[in-house]
Amino acid sequence: MITLEQKKFEEIEKMTNGYSRLLVVGCETCAAMSFAGGQRQVAELASAIRIARKTSGDKGEVLENAIARQCEPEFIDMIQDEVAESPAILSLACGAGVQMLAERFPDKVILPGCNTTFLGVTEELGVWSERCAGCGNCILDKTAGLCPIARCSKQLLNGPCGGSMNGKCEISKEVDCVWQLIIDRLSGLNRLEMLEEIFPVKDWSPAGHGGPRKMVREDLKS
Amino acid sequence: MIRNELSMEIEHPPCKLACPILTDVREYVQLIAERRFEEASAAIRKKNPLPRVCGRICTHPCETACKRGQADEPIAIAALKRFACDGHWKEKYKAVLSKASTGHKVAVIGSGPAGLAAAHDLALLGHHVTIFEALPVLGGMLRVGVPEYRLPKSVLDEEIQAIVDLGIEVKTGIRIGKEIKLSNLFEQGYKAVFVAMGAHKDRKLDIAGEDEFEGVVSAVSFLCRVNLGEKFEVGKKVAVIGGGNTAIDSARCLLRLGAENVHIVYRRSREEMPAAQEEIEEAIHEGIQLSYLTAPLEILGQDGKVSSLRCIANELGEPDASGRRSPKPVPGSEFILDVDMVIAAIGQSPDSSLVADEVELTERRKRIIVDGPYTLVTTQPGVFAGGDAVTGPATVVEAISAGKRAAVSIDSYLKGESLPAIEPADAVETAKLSSSLVERTRTFARCKTISLPVGDRIKGFDEVESVLSEDLAAKEAVRCLHCYLGATVDKEKCVSCLTCVRVCPLGVPTTSKMGEITIDPFACQACGMCAIECPVRAIDISLNPGADIAREIESAMDKSRHQQPVIVGFFDLHGNFGSRDVERLRKDYPNIVPVMVFGLRRIDTSDILRAFECGADGVCLAWCPPDNDPFPEAKDRIKRRMAYAGALLEALGMGGGRVDICDMPEKGLVEKELIDGLMRRIEEAGQARQG
Repeated sequence: MITLEQKKFEEIEKMTNGYSRLLVVGCETCAAMSFAGGQRQVAELASAIRIARKTSGDKGEVLENAIARQCEPEFIDMIQDEVAESPAILSLACGAGVQMLAERFPDKVILPGCNTTFLGVTEELGVWSERCAGCGNCILDKTAGLCPIARCSKQLLNGPCGGSMNGKCEISKEVDCVWQLIIDRLSGLNRLEMLEEIFPVKDWSPAGHGGPRKMVREDLKS
Repeated sequence: MIRNELSMEIEHPPCKLACPILTDVREYVQLIAERRFEEASAAIRKKNPLPRVCGRICTHPCETACKRGQADEPIAIAALKRFACDGHWKEKYKAVLSKASTGHKVAVIGSGPAGLAAAHDLALLGHHVTIFEALPVLGGMLRVGVPEYRLPKSVLDEEIQAIVDLGIEVKTGIRIGKEIKLSNLFEQGYKAVFVAMGAHKDRKLDIAGEDEFEGVVSAVSFLCRVNLGEKFEVGKKVAVIGGGNTAIDSARCLLRLGAENVHIVYRRSREEMPAAQEEIEEAIHEGIQLSYLTAPLEILGQDGKVSSLRCIANELGEPDASGRRSPKPVPGSEFILDVDMVIAAIGQSPDSSLVADEVELTERRKRIIVDGPYTLVTTQPGVFAGGDAVTGPATVVEAISAGKRAAVSIDSYLKGESLPAIEPADAVETAKLSSSLVERTRTFARCKTISLPVGDRIKGFDEVESVLSEDLAAKEAVRCLHCYLGATVDKEKCVSCLTCVRVCPLGVPTTSKMGEITIDPFACQACGMCAIECPVRAIDISLNPGADIAREIESAMDKSRHQQPVIVGFFDLHGNFGSRDVERLRKDYPNIVPVMVFGLRRIDTSDILRAFECGADGVCLAWCPPDNDPFPEAKDRIKRRMAYAGALLEALGMGGGRVDICDMPEKGLVEKELIDGLMRRIEEAGQARQG
């Protein structure tokens, strides 16, 4: 999933200030699962903004809504009536969702209520961690199923580096050295010899370094 | 069981399904838990015209079915019913005679629970009811069969008076078949008759000496004379023969009338005894001796009086038609029981010979034949019958049920409508909880009612059990596990985030491989953790749903805007407090707006924010004492949730100190120091803001 976290309230308050009517729109998939933009967070945030407006004497209305995914045009179209009545929309989706709203509603101010953090997993309720960097060329077959692009601080392909100490990364004792994990796992699988293969220099163009990415499936598109 | 009345769209709790009149037990237990006692009483009375009787002598099949019984002991439902209907608020209930008079006259024969229930319901339906009673007083077996120490006459009088006050005519001293025939009633303009004459004839022992000596008494006539206040000389050593409630009642009365040694002689073992368990226990507690597996053979006498009882020991053989193992005499085991009085309590039958020429009776036992348990139609048009006269001796609630069914049936008959269809219903077994769920369910001891010490009991006929106090009743009511009032998932909204699976303290929600969430509505105990944490609000709890809590905050705030500083207080209904504590809180702290919830688990961050949005200056969350909390493991999570709300308030510049979480005292709702502290912090936060 894409993980998100809600922006600090002070920042949200500042950016939403002064609009006569504000529509807070949740995104019920990744944002909800990150506890950043589901219907519950929409209600909390809208309530907090209303309280802030009440105390500052701002009479602007704050409305609430949510759709399944802000990255799909069909879902977005379902809220166009509410959007029409609000000059500003606070989107609690990832950056993709926010931009999609901006594209669909060219005459509206679209504001981001969340920061998109990473592609990750739920370790347990309330704990998420990064697993994938979306580099466009998966090498997990060669690294024992553990990604050095997403999980090595230096994105080393032929690690570990000299900063690996007792299985931890030199940037923080909280961060596992993924190369240590790769070695441990390959040892366990009795496949340590796989590390003798040296990775060539990585082509980063599928990772977005070759410009914004787009994917077209000729068999599917209309 | 009357299934016709039940909506099949929803699931009904086992307590309700077990009740012959389908009392919504869960509803009134919940109202008691919410300290809404008057409403609890009204909820009971709308279904049951004799709740104070049932609260005392019902055999409470609801308790047998209760889910809580699988984890520890069932909810003390009968005691709660008595509490709800005995309280000082009892006078306030008035039955609503909703319909205009139909002009139809209906005769009810017999004023026992079946007759009274039918009369009550028929009167509410607008019919003119006349009760014909053979005895000089109303109440049937409730009056002459049940002893005062179990059902005080004053209570029965009040219950009956409330029914008669619905405009029912009463004719006592008129025995059907003697003073008046059924056919005469129709001649007198009655359009329908309900025969509920009961079963007041004791079966005979059929042993030698039974009709020979003075001191052999039938239990029904014994209890009748005792209950009507006749002076009665009892023996010093008495044998009561039989194992039903009548035998126990007789034995306990004997003790109170001065018998020194009372022996219950029963032919099977304790397991097969039909008397209610608690009655057997009370009898033993009072010093009555029980001789199981003993059959009487002959009553012996001297000078025309009973002198002893010759008995034989039994052993149990194969199960008989009733499913109970049949007793077989052990050869050579005869013995003599030294007694000067024998009471025969081996079962009663209706005195149906009185109506034998007008309605058809069964071959065996001579009970009135009806065409089905729902219509209660006899072989005579316009004549309906129910209660013990049809079923043989049964329980009070079964009799009430028959009366209510008769009322429905007679009403249809009088309107010329077809009678209600008979829908045979199978007895419903309460589903079994998984062992892991039972293990995870926190146990709470069932309330103990206070009963008179034995020494005081046998001095007279004072009621043995006392009514529960408000505190105890509320504490008992919150033991309810809220069957089918728990979490429901809106599949349309659910995004399979698995939060419910992760937060449930009981492990009830499960997911399919494709993320479809299932929450077993019977297993769920409505703690509310999943509903509060669900990020997409796909889950709600039927036991005070989220929207209700929000609405309550809004309406409470609406009424109290003038009191400063306004504090919304969320109080856990699991605390030790009664309705007086709530009144005192309103008086002592007019600025606190109380919102009662089944656990602080039910309070969402947005509920707290809503309170502020509605104009509150502070929010106080009062936790029940740890010994009362059914889900103590949730406390930490809730505290963190509240800290999050506090941080948000801090970010809003309002000051996080405006939200306080505190423990309720061992007794009452709040401690003064805690409220004073919160008020001080609110004031400081207000000043800081202005400054």
